[in-house]
Formats: sequence, structure tokens, C-alpha cells
Amino acid sequence: MPPKVDREKCDGCKVEKEPLCEQVCPGDLMTLGEDKKAYCRMARDCWDCMSCVKICPKGAMETRIPYQIGYHGAKLIPLMGTNTITWTLIDINGKVERFHYINRGSLD
Amino acid sequence: MIPKVIPKVGIFIYDAGGRLSRAIDLAEVVQRLAKAKNVTRREVFNNLEAPDPISSIQEDLRAGRLNRILWVGRFPDARRRRIEGELTAAGLNPYLQEWCDLEEQGIGRGDFDRAVQAQKAIILIQMALARTRLLAPLMPLEIPAVDAALIIGGGVTGLHTAASLADLGKKVFLIEKESGVGGKVAALRRLYPLICDPHCGLEFALQKLEKSGRVEIHTLTRVKTLAGSPGNFSVRVEKQPRYVDEQKCIACGECITACPKEIQAGNTFPLAGDFSNRGQQVWNPNGLEKAIHQARPLAYPSTYVIERQHCPPECRECQKACPTRAVELEQTASELEFKAGAVLIATGWDPYPLTRVEEYGYGVYPNVVTNLEMEHISEEPPDLQEVGFIQCAGSRDERYLNYCSSVCCSITLKQVLHLKEKRPGVRCYIFYQDIRTSGFDEELYQRVKSLDQVIFIRGDPATVKPEENGRLRVRAEDTFSGKELDLHLDLLVLAGGMVPSEGSRELAHLLKLPQNSYGFFEAHLPCHPEESQRTGIRAGGACRGPMNVVHSIESGHRAAFDVLPFLSGTVRLEPTYPVLNLTKCDKCKRCMEECPYASFYFDGNGFPVPDLAKCRQCGNCVGSCPLFAVSLGHFTVQQVASQIQAIKSGFLGKEEPVVLAFLCKNDAYPAAKGAAESGLPIPPNVFFIKVPCAGSINNAFIADALGFGIDGVLIAGCQDDQCHYVKGNQLVKTRKENLAEKLQKMVIEPQRVRFESLEIRDSRRYVDLVTSYIAELKKMGPNPFKT
Repeated sequence: MPPKVDREKCDGCKVEKEPLCEQVCPGDLMTLGEDKKAYCRMARDCWDCMSCVKICPKGAMETRIPYQIGYHGAKLIPLMGTNTITWTLIDINGKVERFHYINRGSLD
Repeated sequence: MIPKVIPKVGIFIYDAGGRLSRAIDLAEVVQRLAKAKNVTRREVFNNLEAPDPISSIQEDLRAGRLNRILWVGRFPDARRRRIEGELTAAGLNPYLQEWCDLEEQGIGRGDFDRAVQAQKAIILIQMALARTRLLAPLMPLEIPAVDAALIIGGGVTGLHTAASLADLGKKVFLIEKESGVGGKVAALRRLYPLICDPHCGLEFALQKLEKSGRVEIHTLTRVKTLAGSPGNFSVRVEKQPRYVDEQKCIACGECITACPKEIQAGNTFPLAGDFSNRGQQVWNPNGLEKAIHQARPLAYPSTYVIERQHCPPECRECQKACPTRAVELEQTASELEFKAGAVLIATGWDPYPLTRVEEYGYGVYPNVVTNLEMEHISEEPPDLQEVGFIQCAGSRDERYLNYCSSVCCSITLKQVLHLKEKRPGVRCYIFYQDIRTSGFDEELYQRVKSLDQVIFIRGDPATVKPEENGRLRVRAEDTFSGKELDLHLDLLVLAGGMVPSEGSRELAHLLKLPQNSYGFFEAHLPCHPEESQRTGIRAGGACRGPMNVVHSIESGHRAAFDVLPFLSGTVRLEPTYPVLNLTKCDKCKRCMEECPYASFYFDGNGFPVPDLAKCRQCGNCVGSCPLFAVSLGHFTVQQVASQIQAIKSGFLGKEEPVVLAFLCKNDAYPAAKGAAESGLPIPPNVFFIKVPCAGSINNAFIADALGFGIDGVLIAGCQDDQCHYVKGNQLVKTRKENLAEKLQKMVIEPQRVRFESLEIRDSRRYVDLVTSYIAELKKMGPNPFKT
């Protein structure tokens, strides 16, 4: 399932040629539409790697979890620190699980 | 690539005569630090004056047993500077020392448990230690610079500032769009308070310029482009043809006699509409001159100038008449380029077009004039009996100009004095809202009030109508007595306001200089009145706002003083400038967007690069980067991240909240420091990190803090519109809102991130704020990431 873009928050990375989500997407699926907002052009090919969700500086991206993992309404939200990442997983019953990781390797 | 040096940190705890050991058990602290990584020495000392530990540190530094020093405790500023000097002498880079003041973080304040205080102290030392490990030696940068200044505008501000800069030995290029220098002031007849001729002061400045030999004046010249950075600007200008060779013309006047074409005398006040020359037409019947004439407004340079657009075709009379063959009718416009270290703008003001204020009939009735036209009339007044002056004509009125131009009251008083001197019998009526003679101008007011036949009327005239005999019938109400007045006047003078000149607007566009809502160049009031958001470019004089001649000259000098560092041959930069990690950067150019000083440009590969000479090192780029690829020297992302990681959020137990505060070093940090200094009880739950500007706080820092289980993050910056770096507090607020929304989705209370404005003396408020925030967080429960 491709990521959902909040069209109000997305600023198309100030209408750059390549917005951040496009640069980071391993399948080169994200691009800017005519309204200068990002969208996923090949919904079937998305692997749900969530690179775009993590990188979006506006927080405009949201993952839609594939039905094999969680039913509609479940959410997986990453929050990026400088060298850390925290995950919040909310299932359809509203049960919340959280994970916090410190990335390996140094910051530079 | 700098080889990685293994840090060898020495921790030195200054007990300050037992002050610290009274609050915490220092032996325990030292013992707890025994296993800290990269620490080779850890000591407590009690006497600042004893040769130890400084001499033994120097020895260790020279022997390579130490390469970073962490000072813990409260040091007198003067002593701190001395220690820095002493260790620099032993070969330690000043940026390899870290100072950790436990008292300003609240250790020893309030009656909190000794054990809790000791734990907080250990965390604080570990935070500082984490940072100390990552310190890098830094050296100031020196950029070669040009020692010349460019001044745009040859009015009274430009000339006096040029003269002073030349006195300091600087080369000055002065450009002026008119054919001669002097600007608006040269077109005035009298200056208050001495009622003296303004040409005298201008002449004085010009003689100084001539003598110095360091000032190049280019008239009929306008700026075309500006490139480069502070210290090394290159300015292209366009010089319009003069048609007379400046090297040959001796201003003998033979060409003027020969010239067949008479034109309307040049108007020194560009007024609106076709009535621009009317003042001279009515009161000076000889308002004609030839197409070749002297430079204006001041005949300097003394070379003549031809207004070619008025020349009859194929006319060569002036060329034939010129004894020195100075006339060159084939001249064309040329472009010049100047290298300058700094640019000063002194483009001045324009009079407000009074034709817009229709009720007074300016431009319709010939004997309604502006105060500028009155300058000439009061010098050689015709036969007048009754004269009216209307103050604030169009000023302080939301339909026209809703500000006070500050000089018009004094100008009117000056003109009344001058007129009464020439024609003692004239009766003057002054219609006013308020007479605003600030400072010593009050004396002028007193002098006018003591004159005979000068009547002050509070209230604006209701109607101005012409009469058959050429006089004006003015009806007004004196709002003090409530009496209706019906006056018959020979002349009505309107005191119009000042607006930014056409040239200012043009330059603002060209140099991308921010203007305020009235179109004057923006400043940071009150601390930096000549501040501009473009480093190395300053504006002075009336292009900053309405001001009189005295203030204009002062303002020009102040602006020149501000740019002196860029005129000294080298620009010295502190090493705390931004550095981009280009392997991380993906050219999103958010740093470029958010930089308040427009100091970023694209390098050859499309990466944004800061122009270090333009940069003011506020760190807003650090905060803006979504990939945290930007760091300031001595405030790197790694250093801050490591400090945050060193905070043990559970040290007070899971239920007791821990707050991390990011304090702007300009306002909020002194407030917090003041709280400690005045002995206010600072709860042990709060840790702060000093940041260069609230705008330098990256959302990733906050995410880090929340991820490590810190219960609340407090961002304290300046009040709205008071940020020293223009908009840092607004930027961080927007980012915070963005993050709060995400937290909401994550089922974390968005109140865990909070922005507050603190003024520099808000010490008590800081303590109250922190205390109430802790209580609020306690009610909220612990951060779900807390372990």
C-alpha cells in the first residue's frame, strides 16, 4: 500500500525538481503532481519501506499498513531523532506499542 | 580530513571555598566519574590563586597527557579569560575547553535533597563531558578584503560620511544619480536651529573630500548590479553621458550664452504632476535656463551638463562656443565596476505628493505651496500680508501618511522666524494638531510664540477657496475656543511629510533589502538602528525614516562605523560558522529559505553553501535542516545529540518528570542564570542547553529527547518580533506546531513540547514556568518512552 500524502502539509519541498521523498524512494515511485504536491505514481510497486515517511520534513506522509500486517486503521509512525528513531504502532483496537532505537554508527 | 585524535579529558571541579561541597558530596561525584571514558584526570581544587592546577595542566598539555579540559563550577569571568589565555599559551585551542557551571543549573539552590542534587550534578557533568569529547579545535577565518567603501547617494548624509571615512584613510566611491551632489539639503535655503545656509556645511564636507584625495565622486550614476560578499563586493554601475568632458570644462559660461534653447529651470524637488515648477514660476519669474547648465543641485563637480533631450537637432552652438573644447555631444552611457568592502546606502527621501491631499487645493490654486517651495519664498518674500501654515498636511492621517515626519513642525517654525525677519509686518497663522518640537527644538517654538502677529490655531482648515482678488479664503475652527474663523490669506503653506525616495525603492529591489511597511529600510530597533538583513550593506540617513539633517549625518556615521570591519583589508570571522555535511545534504535548500540574512548560495554542484562573510552565525540553518546536515562550529548536531543522550531521564524515579529546556542565549539563558544568581529554587528536574537562537533547535533534538524518555521539552526564546536574528522564534514555533501534530498521531501529549517567550530579566517567571510545567507533566504521567 503506498504512503498517503497530506496535501495540505506537503509543500512539494518548495517545488524543487526532486522533492526529498522522490530522492529517497528506492523504487523512484514518488514524484510531484501538477499541483506541485507529492504522490506515488506506481502504487503497486511500493514496498512500504517508509523511507519517504521518515524523511518528510513536513510530516506530510503516512504509511498505510498492508492488510497482511494490520487491518485498515492500524498505524505505524516513525519519529526521527539525530541518531535515534522511535516507532509508535497503533493497532485497530487502539492498542499502542512503542520502540526506541539508537542507530548504529556515528552521526557523521 | 583531520586525523581523529583520541580525546584525553581532564575534569577539574572548582569547589569555590566549599560552596559546591556544601550542596553535594564531591568525593562521590569524582568516584562516579572514575570509570568515565576518555577521562585521564579528575580533580577537585579549592584555590583559584594557587599555581596548581593550572601549571600542572600546562605540563600535561605539553606532554600530551591531556588535550581537552572540562571546568566544572562557577568561575569569575575575568578568571575564566585568564585561564583560557594561560592554557592557550600551553598550546590548547580555546575551543577545546568546556565550562560547566553547576550553580546556574540550580545545584545548591533551594533546599533539595543532597543525594538528588549530587545525581543531577553527575548528569550535568556527564552531559558536558559528552560534549567535551566531541569538541574540535577551531581557528578564526581571515578573508582578504578590499579597503574601499561604496556610498550610494551624494546628499548630506553621503557627503559627510564619505568625508569621515576618507579621514580614516579609506577609499570611498560615491555615486549620485543627479548631475551634482548635495541632494535635498542643497536645495534648502536655511537650516534650523541656527537659521543658517546649508551650503556652508556641504561645502565644508566637500573641501574635506577634495583634500583627502581618497574620494571618487561619480555623478549621473546608478547601481546596476551588486555581486560578491561583504569585504569583496563588486558593484556595476551605469554612468549616463554628461556631454561635457569633466577634465576640460572650466565652467566659464560661454556655452550658456551660445545655447539657443531655453528650458524650464530644473526643479530640485521632484513633485507630482505638472505643477512641479510652479513654485518658481509664481514667485521667481526668471525660472528659465539653458539646455546646457551647471550641475545640480549643488554645482559640484563644477563641470556643466547638457540635457540632450531638449537640444534642437543638429545644433552645435555650445561646441562651437567652448574655448577648451570640452563639449562632446557624441558621448554615450558607460558602465563601471567598483570593488568595495561594504556598501552604504544614503538615498534619502522624497516629499509626499501633496496633490493627493485634495482638500487644500495644492496644484489647483497658485498660492498654495509646499514647505519646500516656501524655502525659496521666505528667502526673498514678495509683498505679503497674511500667510497660513497647515501642519501635518497629509501626515498622521490614515488616508495618506499615517506617521509623523518629525521635522515639519520645526521647519515651519524656522520658516516663520525667517519670514518675520525679512517682513516683520506679516501675520502668520499656524494650523496644527500638535506642535512636535522634540528636544532642544522647543527653544525654536518658544521664540516663535514670543513673536508678534503669529497666531497658533489648533484645528485643520475646513475649506480653502480662492477669491476674486487672488487671495485665499480659509475657514477653520479653533478647537480651543470653539470659534469659527474666516481668514483671507495671500499664501498657504502645506507642511508635507517625508516618504522614501524613488532611489530607495529601486535599491531595495536590487539589493533585496527588506523595507518596513512604510517603505523605509528596516532596522532592528532599538539596539541596532542601522542594522540591515544584508551583512556589509547598511543604510543611513532619511532612507531609514524621517529625520532631520543632524540625525541623518549621525545615522550615516553610525552605519559607516558598523561596516568598518569590512573595510580593514581582512574580514575576521569567528570559527562558529555553519558547516554543511555534503554527503548528507540532498539540496532541499530549506537552509537557504530560512536563513534571515540570505547568506546561502549554490555551489557548482547545486549544493547550498553559506557565504561565511554574510553569515551572522545564528544557527537557523541548523534548525531548518531535515537531515541535520548543518552544524555550527562549537554547536554541532553531534555535540547537542550527545548531550541529550547523557541525560538519564529516570534518575528521579519513573513518576517524577524530567524537563529539558533549550534556552536562547540572548534572552532566556540570562533569565535562567539570573534565577540561579538570585537564589531562586530551581527544581532538580530541569536541565538546560544553551543555544545560539531558538531557531537553531532542530526538531530532531526534540525527537531525541522524547525518545530518551525526557518528559517535557521547553523551548524558550525571545518575545515575538524581538528576535535578534529576525525570525528565529517564529521559525521554531512553526516547527514545534508541526511536531506537536505528529505527537498527537503517536498518542503522545503534544504539550510535551512547549514554546515560551522569556525576556532577559524574567528570572522569576522562568522558575515559575518550570515549576508549573513540571506539575503539569506530573499530572500527564510519564513519557511512554521512559524506561
